[in-house]
Amino acid sequence: MTLAAVDYLIIALYFAFVLGIGWRIRQRVASSEDFLTSSRSVPLWITSLAFIAANMGAQEMIGMCASGAKYGLMTAHFYWIGAIPAMIFVGVFMMPFYYGSRARSVPEYLRLRFDEKTRTFNAVTFAAMTVFSSGISMYALGRLFQLVLGWSFTASVLLSAGIVLAYTYLGGLTSAMYNEVLQFFLIVLGFTPLAILAVHRAGGWEGISSRLPEMMTHSWAYTRSPSANPMGVEVFGLVMGLGFVLSFGYWCTDFLVVQRAMAANSMTSARNTPLVAAVPKMLIPFIVIVPGIAAMALMQMNVGYSLPPKGSGYDYDLTLTTLMASFYPSGLLGVGLTALMASFMSGMAGNVTALNTVWTYDIYQGHIRKGAPDRHYLMVGRLTTVVGTGLSIATAYLAQLYNNIMDLLQLVFGFVNAPLFATFLLGMFWRRATGHGAFSGLVAGTAAAALTHGLTLAEGKGAWIARLHEFPSTMAQNFWIAIVAWTACFLVTIIVSLLTRPRPESELVNLVYGITRLPPPEPRARWYQRPGALAVVVGVACLLLNVWFW
Amino acid sequence: MWDLRLPSGLFFTVLGLILCGVGLAGPAQQAPLTEANVNLYAGAGMLAFGGVMLWLGLRRS
Repeated sequence: MTLAAVDYLIIALYFAFVLGIGWRIRQRVASSEDFLTSSRSVPLWITSLAFIAANMGAQEMIGMCASGAKYGLMTAHFYWIGAIPAMIFVGVFMMPFYYGSRARSVPEYLRLRFDEKTRTFNAVTFAAMTVFSSGISMYALGRLFQLVLGWSFTASVLLSAGIVLAYTYLGGLTSAMYNEVLQFFLIVLGFTPLAILAVHRAGGWEGISSRLPEMMTHSWAYTRSPSANPMGVEVFGLVMGLGFVLSFGYWCTDFLVVQRAMAANSMTSARNTPLVAAVPKMLIPFIVIVPGIAAMALMQMNVGYSLPPKGSGYDYDLTLTTLMASFYPSGLLGVGLTALMASFMSGMAGNVTALNTVWTYDIYQGHIRKGAPDRHYLMVGRLTTVVGTGLSIATAYLAQLYNNIMDLLQLVFGFVNAPLFATFLLGMFWRRATGHGAFSGLVAGTAAAALTHGLTLAEGKGAWIARLHEFPSTMAQNFWIAIVAWTACFLVTIIVSLLTRPRPESELVNLVYGITRLPPPEPRARWYQRPGALAVVVGVACLLLNVWFW
Repeated sequence: MWDLRLPSGLFFTVLGLILCGVGLAGPAQQAPLTEANVNLYAGAGMLAFGGVMLWLGLRRS
């Protein structure tokens, strides 16, 4: 793939705009809260689009298109069952506590609700994970550009990281969120023509369905048994593992996304943020997964499109870029690649801004230096942007050198994350849950996840203790690890909480359901501005999509 | 709060103009698997999106 001058012009134009937005917003930053939490001043349409854009990293776009080609429409479960229900839940039920407690971060909510050790456990693992995941995605982007454009790995990594650093350093969270909205528009407008062109060339949805095995164009029809579908998963593992534990664990507790809603300018906007974001989220499969499915149909048609082979199959990770090379001439090709860079930057900025806040407020202010003037924390926040970006770049190079270490780290973080939602669920909805209960639940859940991995085998992975069970795919294994970890955390938190002394109820106001007065609906709000009504509309729309593509 | 519709509108207007320009200047320039002038159509779409954003932003200010 070679780029023309106009493609470079478009990339340069995009860089100029994102930097310009950062430059303009820097004037608004006067305190650490302006920099790290946007001082709760951002309007709903920006928080909701930033909420979804921060999650749409380059790896997601490339990975989902690849999964579309490999597994077909079942990939849409990562959206329709693996995101929307959790987004509805966090908006309707959890946001009143996140926003109403006036916590500045998710770990800070844990300190207010439970205790310091639970907060620190969450803050430290989260901070490490953000550095690690932005490094990994930087590595993926650098490698992809090296492969398809022949750009140097170092140049791609340093240029894209440098631009994210510049605009987040200048304008903090507000700048990152404003840019995420621009990036969201660019991703949608840059990828939509590809979806239209690829599906049209493959003969529309009917043409695609007639050329591929039926399971490629259905989402639920082949999930009754793991052997009936290429993902190797069945309906219980899918609904409980992905739809409940993993999805709720991510969308309801991961500060990277929750931070966007917490920056909203009112309680109603904060609650509506994930609900409004759910609308574009449930439509994203049509611009990333469907082109992947169309790619497989195109390969059957002998029109000159094919994926490069890899092992006994194909290199699915190249689906998106090979489609772009086939359907985009110079000009639109520049837009497509810029959209890919934009998705990388929105994901990375999400990680950087979340790390800033957690490091500055939960680790630095919580443990290293308390009671300093606000100016000092603003300086620490800005410095964390630089250090965090530097560490991410180092991680990207580490990933290039030692791929196995990265796999191992990813696995370990998976163990830590799996049980989290049980802690928050009990913390918010059961007043009897205690700090000791929460902490021991988290530790037990993490240990249970590691143990399940050690005792089960899937695609040659796991079973490092003994082999008690074999899963048909690593995806099924991951879903079941999550289910076991969640259950262990849930049970241990309940048992230990019942054995330890709870906090007086007066200390739990605004933190726990049943003690907190829930926010009344705004009197002048129209029906579609009310979280309850919005949740029903979004829920029904998602249900219809599932039925339509059954 | 600064109205983000203005810079986004401006960005997509400029992007749309560039793509329309490329599409009009070289209609024969095609990607391997399509015969359509995709630059022109995509450019027109982006121009329309950018125009609406600008209009909304300017109307408010």
